[in-house]
Amino acid sequence: MKDEKRKQKQFSIKMQKKLVVLFILVLLAFAGLTVRLGLLVHEKETKYQKQVLSQLKYDSTTLPYRRGDIVDAKGVKLATSEKVYNLVIDSAVMLDKEAYFEPTMEALAKYFPQLNMANIREYVKNHPKSSWYVPLRRLSYDEIEPFKEAQAEKNSNIKGIWFEEEYKRVYPGGSLAADVIGFARTDNVGQYGLEEYYNDTLNGSNGREYGYLNDDLALERTIKPATDGNTVHSTIDVNIQKIVEKVLNQFGDEHENEYREADGAENVGCIVMDPNTGEVLAMASYPGFDLNNPKDTQALIGAVEMEQIINANGYTEIRKTGKYITEARLAEMTEDEILLNLNNLWKNFCIANTYEPGSTMKPFTVAAALESGSISQQDTFVCEGYLEVGGFKIKCHGADGTLTLAKAVAKSCNVCLMKIARQMGADIFSKFQRDYNFGKKTNIDLAGEARTASLLRSAAEMDPTDLATYSFGQNFNVTMIQMAAGYCSLINGGYYYEPHVVSKITNSSGATVETFEPKLLKRTISESTSELIRSYCKEVVISGTGKTARPAGYLVAGKTGTAQTQPRGNGQYVVSFESFAPVDDPQVVVYVVVDRVNASKQDNARYATNMVREIYTELLPYMNIFMTEELTEAEKKELEERQLAITLEYGNPNKENGEEGENPLGPTPVWVTYPVDPVTGYLKNPNTGELIDAQTGEPVVEGAYDAIGADVPVPPEIQNPQE
Amino acid sequence: MEKKQRRKKEQAEFYFDYSLLFIVLFLIGFGLVMIYSASSYTATSEFGDPAHFLKNQLAAAILGLIAMGIMAFVPQKWIAKSALFAYFASAILIVLVLSPLGVESHKARRWIRLPGIPFNLQPAEIAKLAVIILLAVVISKMGKKVSTWKGFGLIMAIPIPLAAMIYVITDNLSSAIIVMAIAAAMVFVASRDYKKFIVLGLVAIACAAGAVYIIKAGIFGGGFRGGRILAWLDPESYAKDQGFQTLQALYAIGSGGVWGKGLGQSMQKLSFIPESQNDMIFSIICEELGMFGAIAIILMFVLLIWRMMIIANNAPNLFSAMLVVGVIGHIAVQAVLNIAVVTNTIPNTGISLPFISYGGSSILFLLIEIGLVFNVARNIQLKEM
Repeated sequence: MKDEKRKQKQFSIKMQKKLVVLFILVLLAFAGLTVRLGLLVHEKETKYQKQVLSQLKYDSTTLPYRRGDIVDAKGVKLATSEKVYNLVIDSAVMLDKEAYFEPTMEALAKYFPQLNMANIREYVKNHPKSSWYVPLRRLSYDEIEPFKEAQAEKNSNIKGIWFEEEYKRVYPGGSLAADVIGFARTDNVGQYGLEEYYNDTLNGSNGREYGYLNDDLALERTIKPATDGNTVHSTIDVNIQKIVEKVLNQFGDEHENEYREADGAENVGCIVMDPNTGEVLAMASYPGFDLNNPKDTQALIGAVEMEQIINANGYTEIRKTGKYITEARLAEMTEDEILLNLNNLWKNFCIANTYEPGSTMKPFTVAAALESGSISQQDTFVCEGYLEVGGFKIKCHGADGTLTLAKAVAKSCNVCLMKIARQMGADIFSKFQRDYNFGKKTNIDLAGEARTASLLRSAAEMDPTDLATYSFGQNFNVTMIQMAAGYCSLINGGYYYEPHVVSKITNSSGATVETFEPKLLKRTISESTSELIRSYCKEVVISGTGKTARPAGYLVAGKTGTAQTQPRGNGQYVVSFESFAPVDDPQVVVYVVVDRVNASKQDNARYATNMVREIYTELLPYMNIFMTEELTEAEKKELEERQLAITLEYGNPNKENGEEGENPLGPTPVWVTYPVDPVTGYLKNPNTGELIDAQTGEPVVEGAYDAIGADVPVPPEIQNPQE
Repeated sequence: MEKKQRRKKEQAEFYFDYSLLFIVLFLIGFGLVMIYSASSYTATSEFGDPAHFLKNQLAAAILGLIAMGIMAFVPQKWIAKSALFAYFASAILIVLVLSPLGVESHKARRWIRLPGIPFNLQPAEIAKLAVIILLAVVISKMGKKVSTWKGFGLIMAIPIPLAAMIYVITDNLSSAIIVMAIAAAMVFVASRDYKKFIVLGLVAIACAAGAVYIIKAGIFGGGFRGGRILAWLDPESYAKDQGFQTLQALYAIGSGGVWGKGLGQSMQKLSFIPESQNDMIFSIICEELGMFGAIAIILMFVLLIWRMMIIANNAPNLFSAMLVVGVIGHIAVQAVLNIAVVTNTIPNTGISLPFISYGGSSILFLLIEIGLVFNVARNIQLKEM
């Protein structure tokens, strides 16, 4: 046994020593590593602590806000935002397990047949780490619902697909009120109209969903909800807007390709306003475009083509080419040219285009002359067919002979108007033009209002020819909204209200954030002058140039305009008609402008008056204004065809009851005629000294007006903002 | 009566190293705690069970402790006789990785699934054990010839086929290196001289430096491993890909400071350090327990190796001593290399921290090796101590 044991080789002392050496080597290695650890901690502790914290990006997602609606006066949605979904493919998750890929691809192919599956397979294969690929955008909930259900099933193995929420701007009316509303881009930036002007009001702020780690290192979520945008309540009444657009489009269709291969007119615009508040009830222009597809170039066909040039002074200028866009031309246009022309289409003719108003200016001239005392209402004027001014023979349409003021307006006599203006002088004429807000922005709450300051000469710059031609609305430019707002003040007793399109802002839960009361800026003329102007305008429709504007059963009042365009003698005209109804108590002002109708002979105001008649025929019954005029058999038949009721029996209380009073809503209140108290700006009863609120007729409590603040109407004498 | 007394005598002579057992149990227990801490976040998000990895590791550890107990009582002759069998069996198992039994995970095919074993088996771990046993047998038979160049060459030639198979078939360079390192440690202890090893050590360092220089200069494409070397030299420039894991580990170590953020408070384990319960678990230890915890663990390894050294130096014969030396070599090399990788002292390569890192095969075969050590210790005659 012992021998055997000795035979066994032993772990010699030498080896034991070497093992100790090995142990020391290992010890040294550990010591070295410990030193390295110590150095790491010593040198980098603070830096790496920050690094660790900085890379903890708490997984957070943006919750998009909803852009507010735009609604009409009755709450009908003009613009709204709908939730839509973007399909997001997360390749990394999908490829995490082999079992996910095929079922996910099959489900995608099944529920989204519009997908090109070959492309998607290739994408996922080529980008296995991508977690953001969006093959489909803006799907509705109905489209994604079946897929989501399939995905939610147990053991579905459909992985790596999720849906990102977004809002899509939708315009239920399509092209309805396109110019007023404007449109919002996908990034929620409004362009044109209310969308642009009220962009910040309509936009909200994004919310966020945060993930964070709590003390137990579990992921918790907290949500900071998005603040949705506010709702803009417009004064536009969709029903009136529809009436107007129907008439405009009918007119456009009638004249399309009549004389030239183009739209029915270069532009047709119509503004319907409430003269007593400055609220715009409808605003439309032709040709229009679809807000849901504003970039549709088909809408350009027939429009006058615009081009951008560098003019003699070295400035870029956008001007008409004089040609009209055809399908063939559209095909060869560059992208920039198309955009230029689309911008021209998108801008609102009623506020952005300027033109010479023509004879619709005459009531303004007459009112200024009467108000300033330059003429009296009994004055008569003689028309010899022309007047020599500054060496020019400025012609009238005929020799009208001796005319009263009423007839001068009714017959639209240029010579009489030139004589009136001459009597008034450039200073007074120019002061009144500024009072009517010509040459200034109306500050209507719409984006893109044109500046007209340079398009109208001041008294100092005017020569006699300017004064003469200005008197009948030539040689200076205005915008439609200037004319409409000014005309409102002419016929409502001289109260100039700032025209506006929005009455109220509410937040997403419906609470009112801001209301816009009618803003009385100034008084242009007195009530008595206004009354005279109303009667002259009535005469235009009864016996003058505007007979064709009278709708069945009603009497309306207005003034026609047939303006030459530059260069003179080109045969191109802007015809227009400004009007109001009912004649004794104006409730609505309708202003129609036809810019270069597509007809061989353009200088006929009937293009405008016919449209106004069409509008009134449906508008006045809609506004519950009763008929006052006897109907002819032809008119009865017409109403029957249009399925409109004859409301004559309610509308004419005078004839049935034999009572005095022209106003169907009661006599004109006495307080309207009171003089304005120069100290407070209120109307003052000369007998009692009581102060009356000019707008409501309520007596003002002494001393209380200070507290009313901004709502106090500033006396017209004081408020006449100088530009 | 005599019989009884003899038995009593035998029992009295029976040596059991309680400190070694305590150290091993401590490391396993500590490892389980750290695995739970490091993996609960990813386990919850991936498996819905925060203790997923903990349960797997616990099962492997229990199986390993049973195997360790059995191993401690197996007659040494059996062990010596099974050496060749173990060697070829491990070679066959490595080849089996290519068969349908093979399991792919983490983009590498290194495991096989055998019936009756609750986890995937990594044949490389078996190979390490087989090499230890076979070399112990060979060295104990060779005697003084070990010190010759011929003996040295013969011993180093034995593990090469296994190492080559591990590298080629399972694409696992680190395990191949460890197999060779175990052989080197054993032959170093068994040989008389130092000169040979100093020369070879210097040559190896020079080769490594040369290789690094060539890769850095970009002479060859470098590929996957070349990229790792570049990332090692400058991890911040490769923060997105090759250097990501290393850099995140450094962030963890650095941000842990001296006392750490506290057990369970690591932020880096929140999916910043990939597989934080595996090779990079030491960085989580540093982050949560700081320098203090890291040094404590290093000390535990030093103690472990020291206890084993005592056992080897008192082993009754060369064979059993060499067995222990092999185990020392295995554990020491793996622990040093792992900590070196985590601290970016050497290029990143997948080496687990013995007893602590997650991995069923690793802990099972390490405990079998510890069983061998206990077996050797049991045969120490107390009077000789």
